[in-house]
Amino acid sequence: MVFAFLSGSTFINVRAAAITAKHVIAKDVVITGRVNDDQGQPLPGVSISITGTSFGTMTDLNGNYKLNVPEANAKGTLSFSFVGFAKEEVAIGEKTIINIALKPDNSKVLNEVVVVGYGTQRRSTINGAVNVVGAKDIGDKPVLNPLQALQGESPNLIIQQSTLDPGSNVSVNIRGVATLNNNDPLLVIDGISAQSINELNLLNPNDIASVTVLKDAGSAAIYGSRGANGVILVTTKSGKLNQKASISYDGTYGLQVPDVLVKKVSASDNAYYKNEALVNSGLPPAYTPEQIQQLAAQGKGTWDINHLLYNAPQQSQNVSLTGGSDKSYYFISGGYQNQMSNFIGNGGSGDKFGYQKYNLRLNETAIVGIFKLNAILEYTKSRNKTNSVGDNNIVADADRVPANYNWQDANGNYLTNPVASQYNEYGVLEQGGYNQADNDRVFGNLNGTVNITKDLKLTGVFGGTIENDGNFFRRTQVNYLPAGVYGNDLTTYDNNSKSNSFNTQVFANYNKTIAKDHNLGVTLGVSSEINSQNGFQLQKTLTDPTFGNATTGTLIDATNSYNSITVQANSLQSVFGRINYDYKNRYSVDFVFRDDASSKFAQGHRNGFFPSVNTGWLVSDESFMQPIKNVLDNLKLRATYGVVGNNQSAGNYTYQTTYFNYPAAYGFGNTANATSVVGGAGTNLSNPLLTWEKAATFNVGINFGLFNDKLTGTFDYFNKVTSNIQATPLDVPSIFGATPPQANVAKVRDQGWELELTYTLKTPGVTQSFSGNIANTKNTILALTGNAQQITYNEDVYQLIDAVGHPITQYYGYETNGFYQNQAQVNSYPKIAGNVVGVGDLKFKDLNGDGVIDAKDKTFIGDPFPHYTFGFTYRISVAGFDLSAFIQGVGKRDEFLRGELVEPFHYNYGATVYEHQLDFWTPENTDARFPRLATIGSASNTNNWRTGSNLYDFNAAYARLKNVNIGYTLPKSMTTKIGIQRLRVSLVGQNLLTLTKLKFIDPETSEFGNDENPTSASNSARAYLLPVYYGVGVDMTL
Amino acid sequence: MKFFKKLFIVSLAAIASSGCRKLNIAPTDSYSELDFWTTSANVYNALNNNYSLILTSGMYFNPEGMSDNAYSQSNSDLLLIGSGTANAQTAEFANDWAYYYKTIKSCNEFLANIDKNKTLDAATLTRLKAETRFIRAYEDFNLTKWYGDVPLVNDDITEDEAKVIPRTPKADVVNFILSELTAIIPSLPTQDQLALSENGRVTKGAALALEARVLLYQGNKMADVVTVCESLMNSQNGTYSLSPNYANLFSDPSTNKNNPETIFALQYVPTTTRTWSDFWDFCPNSVGGRTSALAPTQELVNDYIMLNGDTITQSGSGYDPTNPYVNRDPRLSATVVYDKYYWNNGNGINGTSKTIYIKPGSDPTDATTGQAGPDEYVADRESSSPTGYYWRKYFDPSAQANFVSGDNLYLFRYAEILLDYAEAKNSLGQMNATIWNETIGALRIRAGFTDPNATGYPASGDMTSIIRRERRVELALEGLRTDDIRRWKTAQVVLNGYAHGAQFSGDPTTDNGFIRAQKRSFNPNRDYLWAIPSGDLGLDKNLTQNPGY
Repeated sequence: MVFAFLSGSTFINVRAAAITAKHVIAKDVVITGRVNDDQGQPLPGVSISITGTSFGTMTDLNGNYKLNVPEANAKGTLSFSFVGFAKEEVAIGEKTIINIALKPDNSKVLNEVVVVGYGTQRRSTINGAVNVVGAKDIGDKPVLNPLQALQGESPNLIIQQSTLDPGSNVSVNIRGVATLNNNDPLLVIDGISAQSINELNLLNPNDIASVTVLKDAGSAAIYGSRGANGVILVTTKSGKLNQKASISYDGTYGLQVPDVLVKKVSASDNAYYKNEALVNSGLPPAYTPEQIQQLAAQGKGTWDINHLLYNAPQQSQNVSLTGGSDKSYYFISGGYQNQMSNFIGNGGSGDKFGYQKYNLRLNETAIVGIFKLNAILEYTKSRNKTNSVGDNNIVADADRVPANYNWQDANGNYLTNPVASQYNEYGVLEQGGYNQADNDRVFGNLNGTVNITKDLKLTGVFGGTIENDGNFFRRTQVNYLPAGVYGNDLTTYDNNSKSNSFNTQVFANYNKTIAKDHNLGVTLGVSSEINSQNGFQLQKTLTDPTFGNATTGTLIDATNSYNSITVQANSLQSVFGRINYDYKNRYSVDFVFRDDASSKFAQGHRNGFFPSVNTGWLVSDESFMQPIKNVLDNLKLRATYGVVGNNQSAGNYTYQTTYFNYPAAYGFGNTANATSVVGGAGTNLSNPLLTWEKAATFNVGINFGLFNDKLTGTFDYFNKVTSNIQATPLDVPSIFGATPPQANVAKVRDQGWELELTYTLKTPGVTQSFSGNIANTKNTILALTGNAQQITYNEDVYQLIDAVGHPITQYYGYETNGFYQNQAQVNSYPKIAGNVVGVGDLKFKDLNGDGVIDAKDKTFIGDPFPHYTFGFTYRISVAGFDLSAFIQGVGKRDEFLRGELVEPFHYNYGATVYEHQLDFWTPENTDARFPRLATIGSASNTNNWRTGSNLYDFNAAYARLKNVNIGYTLPKSMTTKIGIQRLRVSLVGQNLLTLTKLKFIDPETSEFGNDENPTSASNSARAYLLPVYYGVGVDMTL
Repeated sequence: MKFFKKLFIVSLAAIASSGCRKLNIAPTDSYSELDFWTTSANVYNALNNNYSLILTSGMYFNPEGMSDNAYSQSNSDLLLIGSGTANAQTAEFANDWAYYYKTIKSCNEFLANIDKNKTLDAATLTRLKAETRFIRAYEDFNLTKWYGDVPLVNDDITEDEAKVIPRTPKADVVNFILSELTAIIPSLPTQDQLALSENGRVTKGAALALEARVLLYQGNKMADVVTVCESLMNSQNGTYSLSPNYANLFSDPSTNKNNPETIFALQYVPTTTRTWSDFWDFCPNSVGGRTSALAPTQELVNDYIMLNGDTITQSGSGYDPTNPYVNRDPRLSATVVYDKYYWNNGNGINGTSKTIYIKPGSDPTDATTGQAGPDEYVADRESSSPTGYYWRKYFDPSAQANFVSGDNLYLFRYAEILLDYAEAKNSLGQMNATIWNETIGALRIRAGFTDPNATGYPASGDMTSIIRRERRVELALEGLRTDDIRRWKTAQVVLNGYAHGAQFSGDPTTDNGFIRAQKRSFNPNRDYLWAIPSGDLGLDKNLTQNPGY
């Protein structure tokens, strides 16, 4: 018995047709041809029959067919049908070759083919929580980093920026924080797992064909010990069989206009407020009325952030060539992207600050008999030149100085920073040196498939990356008037790191339909991954001021210089598989597993088995649903349960106790001579019992389509419990004398939901679509270490807490309760011991009601993780015009901000007040946001600002018009005359509008990475500015 | 199918066989427990690591800001401690506590493992152990000094042991320290026996100096202090003497590294990474300072006597409030930078030699820039001093950019022994001209006093005050002032009320125009001991808190 591969409801018994054909062999007309999809990909298993007869055949794996048509039917019609595609009929006429492209049946979106691990699956049989983001949603955005383009496109794919500096990385998180450690999803590009999620940053967004996000254990279990945080599968573009060669070009050019959100008050107002602060603190005023008048007369100087910025250009140019014959196809592309920094200057030499990326890609496929060979080769080069001092410092130093100061005098000399003498950032940007990162990456993937039988194919993959990261840093001297100098240490360093990762896979896919309605698929394979990395650095100080090379007095910094001796290496050996079965597409069940052995753990703790079971029910196929079939086109219920792992938290050798020697520990001898320096030795304590984290996830979901699939949607709910979380045990006192080694001690539950809806509206000439998604997650710490209930981390003035029963990393401190409005309140209201307060100072809530404010009154005062994240896309096309608008946002998030942009005259290194700080308490403004002004060291300041409370809490919810793209495609009749198939011009805008209550900083910024690590630095509201982008674009196909 | 099966099996076998080997990966740059200690060079490196953990430069200088010698406007913990509002959560308390126990662990690990070495001879092993035991005793002493009763950790304890270890009474900790010092002294060389290349290693003298300090701080062991000091003054345990030039001890790199006065110092090495750079935030802005993070107080300046030996408040002292810095103890200008101080840069790369203008409006550049000069006193400005004074002591003209210095920081110098001796003798009622001449007199002559009224045995006056004032000015910025006011129990006096700066506040109605730098508060029922850190208190169930926290 031979049954068709991938059969659907229009199943045909091939053998019966073949037998029939044999009897009439002499008179037959032989018709051959090929069936493709609308993308030019061959469609195997398409049923072809002569209308009204039982004669028929099916296409083979390459979409080819051959049909013997009895003479009697030679004038008939051929019918082509395939699940998920609209049925086509073609009159045979005189033709002997009939090639046809089937169009997808849009009412059957469930039948799209989705890339999953080690294979593809039809949408209808996927039971896990999987989202697909298409090329259009990525390529239309003027961003250089594909991760930025994914923001808001998939529910619960949470992407946050800590800075918008060109070339900077973003934090990526799927379904919230589930471990105290690395929450990075696994990134797999063209079947090869990447070492870091940030490798996606290096891809050309225009080369991406689709991105599949695997969220639950059901879909991610095939990635075993690395699937716990979800998986992002990226498929890059390839050519198609029998496709006419075409060349495409697309380019955008625009300006990034920095949006400065803060404004200093005038210097005279500043002095006035300073006096107020001093007087409120019981100190004499610093400025006389005459001096304040003088400051007013002096006017505004240039010392601010605006004078360090310019409208920087950003451009992207991409050319691709694609095509194919009947035995091979190819895709070749080249891209150049350039995003200049908004900061002025070049650090003293070379190009201005900014980020450039060059991509070259070749994807070639050849089919030889039963063999299909594919090779992908990509080369990427990126360069990021930044300043030598750090964006934070630049913003801080521009902000801390009162408004009457100038960066330069009339002769162009840089003037001394009156607050921190060595930092005139205008001078630093123009002359203080730079930091230049260069990255070269070669990605290769050679894979072959052999179709052993019609049902069984075997695939071998060998691929990997070779990457070289270099950094060149120079700090050069800048002199200020009348005093002060930056960079007189004249540091130069060079480092280089080389990493290799190689992945070998062999896997078999077997697909079979039994007894008409039973579809079985089996995937079984093995994989081996080997990764290694090493690097060196040479650092010198007091180098030649002009060239940075060694000269008299130059010193080699032995501690910060190193050779390539340290090798970071790890390997992973795996067996994996998937068995899926469905009955009539209606009931499906699959079992997925992977067994990994990782070198990161000691023998006995290194193997892990990660299974999942997934089920689905296509309710709308049931007969009892037929009465409402015209309303509810499809309805599918899904449920999965599985266990996946996370080995990313572990270092490569952390289970081994090691001793290491290091230079320059101490000095002996009695001369001022470097030779008397001696080295030291240290210990890395280990825990040989370390093993991976395990996440058990339960997921239920529903897919539906209504009104002829005009409205489609999915909803998922999940409950995930991650145990064995690797963390520093919290129950060891510091008397132990060392940080105890990490152990698998913590446990976290993560629950959430996600909803995705798309509504398509087609009227003649106008197509509109509305698609939106929203999601939320909530995690709860179930255990930290044994019985340890909580740990607090001091973060400058407030605290962060991890506590059992609460979400990971919450802000912690006192709740404010308005202000002391009169002396009676000052006398009677409970206070913190030692804090002397007055009218206009903050009151704190006495939560336990014991009449004093102390540590027992501290509570959870904010959640820094984004909740109710959403994305919304509107598209319309009418008469050659098209528009897409994309809104992205966060419904709820607390953001604690501190520093000079929050606290007037912050310590003494902030000498300024901002307009957004003016809502402070005065006898006339008793309902203020901030307490009365007071100076550092005063009782008032200690009570209000040095006592961690929700004074620092800001509402960081926002909705942002992230992207608008308006295009016009010239009529084909016009463009073909000049040999152009398609020509589209567009206007592009990015970050055009933001709705938020947080006005003085981009509400997207976060001090946390995706692990919400409570030891991250606090957020001082000094992020790189939000650039608003305006640009034009052209894309054309020849 | 057979082909496929073969291919599959072969592939599996190939991957499996190559995989097994690749799963055991060892680091390429470090030793394991098995082979580390057997190499003698590693043993020395481990010893050097213990030395490097004795104290950080920050821990050396910070205590000055907790005393009446200095005020820090930017170190929040020092602000808290100064204002009397520190508590069990104060980071400084937790950090120092953890630091001492970290060093103790390193020492204990060394002592537990060193015998695995079979190459070094017995005498060497004993000496290396003695050095490590000295370091451990020094940490134990610091712990008990700040926290009173503390867990005494003499073994490389496990995590579980750390969770239950109780506090040992302070008296027992002190007895342990003293017994350790007694035990190790025979195994240590004298300073004179040290090879030049070994300078900085622990000696008999260092152990005796620590013993003298431990005994002195007990307050009731003065006779023992006398004995120990005499064993250092009679050259039996190494030859020590005062270095001829006080200023050069701190500001001449060659003197700093090589002088007869050093008993034990934190050793640094120029132009390496074993350096310190705290001075970047000590000195005036116009000569390369970054911020003013630790500023001398008016109270310290006031304690420098006149060249004629009188205190500034004595009638007929010649002190001129309008010209307050002339005819003062020469150690003042070796220690503190005051208004119109001439900063001699000594050809260093940080800044230039110049006059320092601190009085508001006095800097000649004010006229051209329209701004207050960089060193001028301006209320609430981090880059300039909040007291109108900067530090000069420990200025290193050979420092690299950003004041990266290799100068040693003295932990024990002979001058302290003389002061210990004077104090002990005086408290035993045995002070006389001979003792004076050996101690205070000698220090004053070395400081540059010539007036016999200053150098000679005073006919009148409160000898206790004289010795205490002498100790304060001689040892300013060496981290001992806080210890002294705490053991004398005078902290409750000198740390209550305002810490002042120079007479530049512009408001003559408040404190006669002297800057009020910080309102300080000291609770004698609580603040003589630091709080046991709240973190450890919850984790070690046998730990108890000090009174008042």
